Amino acid sequence: MGPVREVLVRVAGLVFAAAYAAFIVSVYARQPRTVQQLASGMAASVGAYRVDPVNFQEGLRFFRADQFIEARAAFERADPARQDAPTQFYIAYSFYRQGWGRLYHDDPLYRQGLEVVDRAIARAPGGRLVVPDPNLQMHTADELRAELQRGLARELSDLSPMKVFAERK
Amino acid sequence: MTRALPPAREAFVLPALFLTVAGAGGLRVSPAGGAMSFVPPPLITLVLAVLLLGVMARAGLLIPSGLLGDHRTGLENANGVVVLLSLFAASAQLFTCLTPDAGVLRLIFNLFFLFLLWNTLAAQPDRTRLLRSLFVVFGWAYVVRYVALAALADPQAGWTRGMLTVRLEGASSGPIAGEATAPLAGYVAFATVALYMTGLGLLPRPAPSAAVALVATRAPDLLE
Repeated sequence: MGPVREVLVRVAGLVFAAAYAAFIVSVYARQPRTVQQLASGMAASVGAYRVDPVNFQEGLRFFRADQFIEARAAFERADPARQDAPTQFYIAYSFYRQGWGRLYHDDPLYRQGLEVVDRAIARAPGGRLVVPDPNLQMHTADELRAELQRGLARELSDLSPMKVFAERK
Repeated sequence: MTRALPPAREAFVLPALFLTVAGAGGLRVSPAGGAMSFVPPPLITLVLAVLLLGVMARAGLLIPSGLLGDHRTGLENANGVVVLLSLFAASAQLFTCLTPDAGVLRLIFNLFFLFLLWNTLAAQPDRTRLLRSLFVVFGWAYVVRYVALAALADPQAGWTRGMLTVRLEGASSGPIAGEATAPLAGYVAFATVALYMTGLGLLPRPAPSAAVALVATRAPDLLE
């Protein structure tokens, strides 16, 4: 092997090892649960990942009809790698709306919503996520996160009878 | 001191093998549903990996001067560092792969590895003997973790489970709980161990004169 070719091989090897190590670290950080999520994550890392628009629209339709379980199933199909911040936002919003109650909130659903909205924030560029959907009353992930946290908090104001008149957002 | 490694092997093959082991070693597959998770190396496996690399260096299986040194160019040293780092990561994750995830069994496995490596360090084996020894140790751990313990936890395992239960009767004060693993995890672990051992076999070898000198100090009976 000539000296130039040897240098090329060694440099290419370094680049390859760095890329492969970065991929493995990203897999451990993302923790994909299925082979499909793993493959989608790989596609996302090279910028080739796209949300399925048909399933996304179907999810939106279910969401607006208050069919939250069906909506989440459609959104999960649309974004199997859980890489798309707006889709994750809608999933978190569905947990909020399903868990909201005039007399009490469903804590397990709120906790799941909080987990998903944190993921949405993590996926959003710069951590800032705005969804300009006129059917929603909260348009940013920060508002949704705060609302979920308020719902999980135990306060004296929870006993206020005025809470009965609160509206779902 | 060492036979020079072909550049492609040092730059591509060894890092690819060891990084694959490092990645696959932490893979866990849930027996219920098949959900995957990736376990980072626990601290004890880092200690075991350091000890293992020390044993390899003492036995001449890992020759640091074959990968790093003033006699090599900066680029060659960079490749050598990558091989060493990936070997360390692979060693740590191989222990993660072969050790149960929790409970007393995890403690027993870790102590077993610790004492065995310590013993091997004291015995000062040569390269070939260390390779054989590691093959037996990792092979034994694989069989216990992915065959015996999986069978104990599997109610469908039938005669295998019955045989193990009878064998272990009296060996402990209570029933020994197995650890359920998905079949896929066993296949991945097998490939992981095989890749690791292949990588070890491809590490730089000592030059013949150096090898004779090494054997003369470590195992003089072989030269008789």
